[in-house]
Amino acid sequence: MNDPERDPVVIRAIDELRRLPRVDAARVQRIVAAAAALRVTPPGDDPLAHPRLWPRLWRVAGVAAAAAIVGFVIHGFVPPRTGNGVAAPIAAARPVKTLAVNTALHESSALPIPHQFVLNVRGAKRVSVVGDFNEWNRASAPMERSADGTLWSTTISVLPGRHMYGYIVDDSLFMLDPSEPKGRDPDLGAEGSVVIVGRP
Amino acid sequence: METYYARSLRFARAMLRNPDDAEDMVQEAFVRLYRALPRYEERQRFESWLFQILGNCCRTANTARHRERTHLVDDAAALERVPSRDNPSERFDHEWGDEVRQALADLPEYNREIFLLHYIEGFSYDEIERMTGVRQSALKMRVKRACDSLRARLSPGMGGGR
Repeated sequence: MNDPERDPVVIRAIDELRRLPRVDAARVQRIVAAAAALRVTPPGDDPLAHPRLWPRLWRVAGVAAAAAIVGFVIHGFVPPRTGNGVAAPIAAARPVKTLAVNTALHESSALPIPHQFVLNVRGAKRVSVVGDFNEWNRASAPMERSADGTLWSTTISVLPGRHMYGYIVDDSLFMLDPSEPKGRDPDLGAEGSVVIVGRP
Repeated sequence: METYYARSLRFARAMLRNPDDAEDMVQEAFVRLYRALPRYEERQRFESWLFQILGNCCRTANTARHRERTHLVDDAAALERVPSRDNPSERFDHEWGDEVRQALADLPEYNREIFLLHYIEGFSYDEIERMTGVRQSALKMRVKRACDSLRARLSPGMGGGR
């Protein structure tokens, strides 16, 4: 294999391409300030804001996911999901929450579709769904407990497409959805559950 | 931050089908970066995280542009306005920098991105492997193909160069 670094033409091209464009410092500051202001979750409010917490969360997430699967087998019932807007029993009478979804990288013509998230977890006091559709903000989509206290659910409007998400249990535990495939966050490399909303 | 911004802008201009979208895309990447900061894990270098996000934004934008362009080719009048590279009378008089950027733009996106990350942004193959999930042997092959294409386009007597 020829070493491109020894080819004068390629070296010259690389030198040309390495030239940095001029930037207006004031403009950069404005953009950075605007980006910082758009952050939805303040650091103190986000359980995922503490990098040192992550290894512990992932360890307990594995145990909790296994517990949820066992709970599912024993309980034997989880309502169907409603990716195409079909009402599921647990949330049929409840209004659908509309989230401030990030539309920047989605088709402008795409409309949010109601999607029900359901988690079977015993003994929890609070559960919320967090994902790329709500900027991983635990306060955005709290879930409601079923009468028997084991099923948690919420229905929210989500833009069609592939989304990564998880659940925050009792404000401290991040759990994957045991009934959906796992994936890796393209930006962070962290694991999350994957759902495709609006798939025909 | 200005240096990161300038490097991001350079990368986005080289990656995008429409370089005019570069500033918007850098802005989008910065917004995503700030939103995801709470989930940033220190095991990853900040710089490689930024370019991973920016690369994702650019690929998404290129896909959208491709859809638009695919739609436009149905417009016969628009097709007639596109200058032909084979017709000497319509060939633009590019400066060297323009020629380099055009040759780069003509590379397949997957070769161009790795070439830029390695030779222009200075990431090692180890880092790019972590960023993209592509094995190093494949990365090196993509960079080699990119270099071969650039050399063929830009070398004097081979249809390019000055």
